[in-house]
Amino acid sequence: MALKKFVVGCFEDEKVLFPAVAKVRKAGYKIHDVYTPFPVHGLDQAMGLRETSLHTAGFLFGLIGTTTAVTFMTWVFTKDWPVNIGGKPNFALPAWIPITFELTVLCAAVGMVLSFLYICQLAPFVKRHHFHARATDDRFVMVIECGEKTNESELSSFMNSVGAIEVNTQVAEEGWWIGRYDQDQELYKQTNIA
Amino acid sequence: MSQTKYESQLREPLVNGNKTYGQVTNDIVHTIEVKPTRLWYIGFYVSVVLLLFGVYSVYREVTYGIGQWNVNKTIGWGWDITNFVWWVGIGHAGTLISAILLLFRQGWRTGVNRAAEAMTIFAVMCAGQFPIFHMGRVWMAFFTLPYPNTRGPLWPNFNSPLLWDVFAISTYFTVSLLFWYSGLLPDMATIRDRAKTKLRKHLYGIASFGWSGSTKHWQRHESLSLVLAGLSTPLVLSVHTIVSFDFATSVVPGWHTTIFPPYFVAGAIFSGFAMVQTLMLITRKVMNLQDYITLGHIEAMNKVIVLTGSIVGCAYLTELFMAWYSMVPFEQDIFFKYRIAGPYGWSYWLMMTCNVISPQLFWFRKLRRNVTFTFIMSIVVNIGMWFERFVIIVSSLYRDYLPSSWSVYYRPSIWEVGFYLGTFGLFFTCYFLFSKYFPVIAIAEIKHVLKTTGESFKNDMSALEQKGADSFYEEMHHDHHEEGSVKVAHH
Amino acid sequence: MIKQQFEISAGYKKWTNILLGVGGLAFVLGVVFLGMSKDELAQTRFWSVLLQNSTFFLLVVNASMFFICITTLAMGGWQMAFRRVPEAISSVVPVFSILALLVFVGIIFGHKHSIYHWLDKEHVAHDPILKGKVAVLNPTFFMVWTVITLLIWSFVGAKMRKLSSQADENMDQEASKKFIWGNTVWAATFIVFFGLTVGSTIPWLWLMSIDAHWYSTMYSWYTFASTFVAGMALVAIFVVYLKNQDYLEYVSEEHLHDLGKFMFAFSVFWTYLWYSQFMLIWYANIPEETIYFKPRMQGAYRGIFFLNLIINFVLPFLLLMRRGSKRNYTTMTFVAVLIILGHWVDFYQMVMPGTMHEHYSLSWFEFGMLVFYAGLIMYFVGRGLSKKPLLAVHHPFVKESLIHHT
Repeated sequence: MALKKFVVGCFEDEKVLFPAVAKVRKAGYKIHDVYTPFPVHGLDQAMGLRETSLHTAGFLFGLIGTTTAVTFMTWVFTKDWPVNIGGKPNFALPAWIPITFELTVLCAAVGMVLSFLYICQLAPFVKRHHFHARATDDRFVMVIECGEKTNESELSSFMNSVGAIEVNTQVAEEGWWIGRYDQDQELYKQTNIA
Repeated sequence: MSQTKYESQLREPLVNGNKTYGQVTNDIVHTIEVKPTRLWYIGFYVSVVLLLFGVYSVYREVTYGIGQWNVNKTIGWGWDITNFVWWVGIGHAGTLISAILLLFRQGWRTGVNRAAEAMTIFAVMCAGQFPIFHMGRVWMAFFTLPYPNTRGPLWPNFNSPLLWDVFAISTYFTVSLLFWYSGLLPDMATIRDRAKTKLRKHLYGIASFGWSGSTKHWQRHESLSLVLAGLSTPLVLSVHTIVSFDFATSVVPGWHTTIFPPYFVAGAIFSGFAMVQTLMLITRKVMNLQDYITLGHIEAMNKVIVLTGSIVGCAYLTELFMAWYSMVPFEQDIFFKYRIAGPYGWSYWLMMTCNVISPQLFWFRKLRRNVTFTFIMSIVVNIGMWFERFVIIVSSLYRDYLPSSWSVYYRPSIWEVGFYLGTFGLFFTCYFLFSKYFPVIAIAEIKHVLKTTGESFKNDMSALEQKGADSFYEEMHHDHHEEGSVKVAHH
Repeated sequence: MIKQQFEISAGYKKWTNILLGVGGLAFVLGVVFLGMSKDELAQTRFWSVLLQNSTFFLLVVNASMFFICITTLAMGGWQMAFRRVPEAISSVVPVFSILALLVFVGIIFGHKHSIYHWLDKEHVAHDPILKGKVAVLNPTFFMVWTVITLLIWSFVGAKMRKLSSQADENMDQEASKKFIWGNTVWAATFIVFFGLTVGSTIPWLWLMSIDAHWYSTMYSWYTFASTFVAGMALVAIFVVYLKNQDYLEYVSEEHLHDLGKFMFAFSVFWTYLWYSQFMLIWYANIPEETIYFKPRMQGAYRGIFFLNLIINFVLPFLLLMRRGSKRNYTTMTFVAVLIILGHWVDFYQMVMPGTMHEHYSLSWFEFGMLVFYAGLIMYFVGRGLSKKPLLAVHHPFVKESLIHHT
């Protein structure tokens, strides 16, 4: 984790955002991220992001649940402590379907949510630098990382030309840290250019 | 994927009043940032008082035993299990709205899903109390869990529907909670970023898990929501199915019938939607959310109510018919002597009137869109659904195979009623707190559909509406190719 | 130029003729060697197979109209791009109704009591249970209710298709509103009647009364689920076929994906109902009820019993789970054929154990009738498709379907 320099462009409408993303990528700039107040469909593809494979993880977690339930109940009722229940066979599969199903769903759901939180690095008390306070309200915020060769002012005016209504440069921590949102931790500086 | 948003102008807008993204945030978050109204305080304190009465009733039952209730050895399941099934049923609407309607692409779900999900969670919390305290020696409730113990180890009976319930209800509660909270994360971040006071910023900062709105995060969040919806759909069916197994696996006449699982699910959706209506009609009025919970939403939910009410009606008639058709004297007696007639006959007819006959009025569009009528009906339906469970439980039990144990007329004791009232207290206390501290409408989701279904945006679609299908398609296709070219430009 | 008008190709004609030829031959041979045979078992086989096929395929094509009506009531837009396909399929309902009616006439008035036990008056007089059921299980009620049902399905279905033709002409906003309203009213009529027939009485009469002593409240909903999922599979097959012939330009893989979701979801739903019915009877273990599963699970039909579960649950579940497979033409066609065959087998095991008992056969006549009905479906659906443009261009919701995406 380190402090980095970013040029931040702020857009008002997703209709402007899409061509802007295309142009910025065409110009060869590296988009650090785009922050939006709601999921904008197709933006991930426009940015060239890889499809997520979270659902595959969900499937695997589900499989773990199924196997656990079936093997455990089989072991309990056929090996560990066989009991005659209502004249049913010890291996009473039809009667185990409900619990097997529930455990499958439980494992898949809990596993997926935890995986989601882990890969997104989200947790209580986690704090991030937010490039714009309205990124969760009504602004679409495109953040471009400045490399060694990037010309900031050129990039800023380029951002203006593709439709950003507000452009500035910020030096900020790119990762997360443990912190409180009501306290300023001075992990970034802001320089207004545009 | 085309970015052009279009929806037929024949559909009424689902967000009224020419909103912008900023206004949506403001309208919904505003109520959290100001002091609650007097009405809120009154409602909240009444709920807390009810809750305390419930706590005292439970205290009586725990310290003096089940004898505090009027259940007896013939009617062993009385008000408690009736209430349990009733509350679980109500707890179905939230997940149904979020999950099944998501998969069925019903756009109107966005206005009501958040509050409905919250309601689901509270209703399941209420439901869980009843079987737990019905155990009598509640301090041994953990015996139902399969853990290595000093009794042998003796495992719980995995063949028992009552144990299936333990798994079903706890899974349902956990998954609903996860589904609900993962949907809330972005909205918590919205509140956090607007917060003016330090405390609010700190607390919503914790609650939002450091959500930033990153595109990658949104992409995963979408995938998560979709899979959770896919998982919740069979889950929500399974829960009431398993509750119905509690009855249907037995050999008690009137309980053992194969239609129970789907019919219980339909009934659960029916009563759940009615409860959503009750709460939503109050919420939209008190919190001024008429622009987001529109008459269109209310009408759509009323359609679901008339549909599920009719399915339930179909099941009631099927049961009656089969009781006769089976030519089993016990089945025939239960239905024709002890259900539609007999000392509890009044409850059967109350159930029929409330659940099957009166919802048919919703075939009329005028009544579907009438707020007062809907409100009254939503309560009528839930009374009817309570009596459905009462009818099933009590009328099948009070005349069992042994005439010597035929029970006298069953009336609940004050502590049984108190327990029930207490769960109302719990439910509404939670709901009041929720409506004060959480966004009652899913902010991000409303924004997502705003440009398709927002009033002003719909008006802008006139140009598209005039176009013929061919040229419309051509245009969309063109957009599509333009975006497609972006991928090529990647370097 | 977009191909809006379906023309029956030479290849389509050829295959229709082959299927009809082979099936027709099987039917004629069936009439000669089985129907007119002196052997009671052969006759029973003849009528059982006809009963199985005529009810199954009638309910399957009628499922298309159910799909149309339920999406109409839900104000769905996404299905508009291919709605003419289920319309064409549902146009076969009157034809299959007549065929089914002929079979019922043959069974009822031919007193085939090896099919419907309750037709044997002498036996009924000595059987207190059947005697009790006489109010329902009698030829008059059976025929009257069947005829009413078939007429109303055919009539309301025709009404819905006629309404749909209006959308070929331009209409203004007022007219569109009226159009939607008219559709809603007729769709609601159909659904209500559907509930009173497929959702309850009809499967009891046609199929459950084969095992005349036995009863299950779930039976009708189970039958509905079985035929509905097969009906959706049939729609998917025709959609894929038309796409491959360069028709239905506006239908994208998104639409196919949604059809795939229906097939997946209702396969699971069918399994859910199957499990609920089976498990409750297995669990309670009441002899009057378990008698139904005895020959099926432990007797001669054991193989078919498990085949039914594999072909209708395990395979669709595994094959359709992935997103990609629901968007793939080949996989979808394969699974759709599988599902239709699977539920045909399901109907087979619903009918045969009650009529043929352990002497069942599954050979030339059974498969011949399957082929015959496949040919009939190809012939009549092809004709239905060629009668109207494949897209109702002026339907108010049609544009929503064109930009349909996940």
